[in-house]
Amino acid sequence: MKISALIFGYNDYSAQIAKNVLHKYQDISIFKLDSDEKKADLEDYNIETFDLSDEWTDLSENHDIKNSVAFCVLEDDAENIFLTISLRAAFEDLTIIALSKNKESANKLSMAGANKVIPLVQTTASMICDMLDKPIVTEVLHSILYEQSDLKVAQIEIKSDACFNNKFPSDIEWSREHGIIVLSVLHEDGNSEFIFSSKAKHHEIKIGDVFVVVGYETDIQEFEKLIGGDACV
Amino acid sequence: MIKRLILDGAYFLSTSKRYQANKRFFYNLLENDSYRYKKYFDMLMITLIMISVIILIREVKSHVNDFLLYFNNYIISIIFLIEYLLRLWVISSTSEVIIKQNEYDTMLGKEFNLFASILEISRVKFKYITSVRAIIDLLAIVPFFHQLRLLRIFILFRVFKLFRYARSFQTFASVLATKKFEFLTLLMFSSIVIFVSSVLIYVMEANNPDSPIDTLYEAVYWSIVTISTVGYGDITPTSDAGRLVAMFVITAGIAVLAFTTSLVVSAFTEKLDEIRETKSVDDLKKIKEFYIICGYENIAQEVAIQLSKRNSLIVLDEDISRVKQAQKDGFTAFNYDPGSVESYKKLRIDIKTQVKAILCLRESDVENVYTALTVRSFNKDIFLLSLLMNEINRNKLSFAGVNEILYSKELVGLIAKEFVGKPVAFEVVHALRSEYTNVDIEEVIVTQRMLSNFTLVEQLNNSKYRVVLLGIYKQAHKRFFFNPIDSTVLEEGDYLLVIGNSVFIKEFEKYLHTKIKR
Repeated sequence: MKISALIFGYNDYSAQIAKNVLHKYQDISIFKLDSDEKKADLEDYNIETFDLSDEWTDLSENHDIKNSVAFCVLEDDAENIFLTISLRAAFEDLTIIALSKNKESANKLSMAGANKVIPLVQTTASMICDMLDKPIVTEVLHSILYEQSDLKVAQIEIKSDACFNNKFPSDIEWSREHGIIVLSVLHEDGNSEFIFSSKAKHHEIKIGDVFVVVGYETDIQEFEKLIGGDACV
Repeated sequence: MIKRLILDGAYFLSTSKRYQANKRFFYNLLENDSYRYKKYFDMLMITLIMISVIILIREVKSHVNDFLLYFNNYIISIIFLIEYLLRLWVISSTSEVIIKQNEYDTMLGKEFNLFASILEISRVKFKYITSVRAIIDLLAIVPFFHQLRLLRIFILFRVFKLFRYARSFQTFASVLATKKFEFLTLLMFSSIVIFVSSVLIYVMEANNPDSPIDTLYEAVYWSIVTISTVGYGDITPTSDAGRLVAMFVITAGIAVLAFTTSLVVSAFTEKLDEIRETKSVDDLKKIKEFYIICGYENIAQEVAIQLSKRNSLIVLDEDISRVKQAQKDGFTAFNYDPGSVESYKKLRIDIKTQVKAILCLRESDVENVYTALTVRSFNKDIFLLSLLMNEINRNKLSFAGVNEILYSKELVGLIAKEFVGKPVAFEVVHALRSEYTNVDIEEVIVTQRMLSNFTLVEQLNNSKYRVVLLGIYKQAHKRFFFNPIDSTVLEEGDYLLVIGNSVFIKEFEKYLHTKIKR
């Protein structure tokens, strides 16, 4: 069975998502409603048709649902919510990312069981405001997050506590010693905190913590090796 | 010979920069409402008028200091006279009329007609002199001839002069002027009623020895007092016939009063939006810097809400329902078409200094391209940001001169990519940008003042303030340097990108701007 990106909706959003997740999934399936018209930029993908009243039995037969991700990007909000709720009802483990056109439907999509909701209007508006208020921050973060630059943001799991045994995240000179900047630590108990927030002293570094770091690709790889191995150099 | 001299004089005046600058200054001071210093001039004139009126009132029953009388009769009058002459000067350009006439005559191969130009100049000036405002101005100067005691009352014309300086009076007059025809009809109606009733009451009562009405003047006075529903009661009809007339006048009076009230109210109701709009346009001048949002659809609404937390903004939309929505949301909104140059002229703002950026946020590429081109047609430098709805139109927006294009569908794709790849990292960066966490990422510009204390990165001492220096954006290289080494030199105009608790960042910024005594 294939690990797939299942994109529900046959429109520009689907095309953009398909283009961007291509590198990550072996298989990309785009699901169109019968009423959707043909689109030139989606012809290269595997197109399947679906109906909102589907029971989704074919889906579980052909795809590894647990490791796949579904994108619900239908143009109509009501249909999108219905699709999300029916997918969730059929598959408990499926990761569902849904697009909402406004705040109200964002809440409904979360209630319908979407793991992540992209509120289109809010996201676009925030982006515009950031571009105007903090143009440089926006440019830098945008290039770190979305573009092909040497600078990357990565999440690294601590596999050995040899280096940081009983230390607090704030005690270590990350930027000078390792060439990276640690933004945040996600602790095993699910609590995430910014390393530089005032509460940083509450947790010691433990195996299983996930560090979110920014740095050049080579430095991140070095750091990964370091915390993945036993020796602390 | 004289014609030659006059022509030379006219050309000299129209080309003299100094003369034109002076004339423009006085024009702005006297006539241009948007001129910054006009309000001070208006306030000065209002004060002079008030002084004049106070002196007039005081003078009725007591002696007024001679200096004050001198001040009132001469100084104020002379100031008003100068003002009158200046107005007469700036109202039209004499030299322009002469030059125009000369060019016209030269074109037709005729000799310059001095008489025609004098006629034209006199016509324009005379038209001004005979306007109500100019007449009031002139009469306000008359008390200068204080020897004629009767002319003292002309000081009251100075009060009428107030109309010129107080904008609300002008608004009131202009609102009532829209109902000119109705008011004229009402005036005709009441005049006829007054005339008929005065004659009738005079005929009925004048020969009656018990009646207080003896003359036609008293009859007219009674009619006006009655029709206005004031009814002092000092003069009342005594005969039955006279009372019949009274009943007729009283009934007509109620109708006149009701009609007048409804006219004034309806005139104001109709003009209310316009008055509010004028007020909003006037208020714009007071805002130092603001954004112009073109369109008020979904995304624009959200942008306005988020942007208004830190900035001022105005909304332009051609759809009245969306403008109403924007006003309801608490924004200054105008029902102007953002795709028309006229709309920006009507705002009477200085786009260069007052407008931070123009945002084309209509959810239609056609409209946004049109708006962008409109703006670019009168301003090449203003920062333009536009939404893009369909990828194929991207080059059209760039071609129209948009500085920054935002394609929301692409954004969805990028978010999806990041979310499936690095969900934790994505959430962290998202949290950094959102306002709900107390951790923030800020850009701090390096100023000259800062450089007098800190020249190298190692001197910043940011770790003491628990602030992380993510990197430096070097203005000179237009490049971002991540995690700069200690010996990196700071230069004016660079940006420090810092992450930390918002309170700590503020403290850190304060520290950077404080002069350190070494």
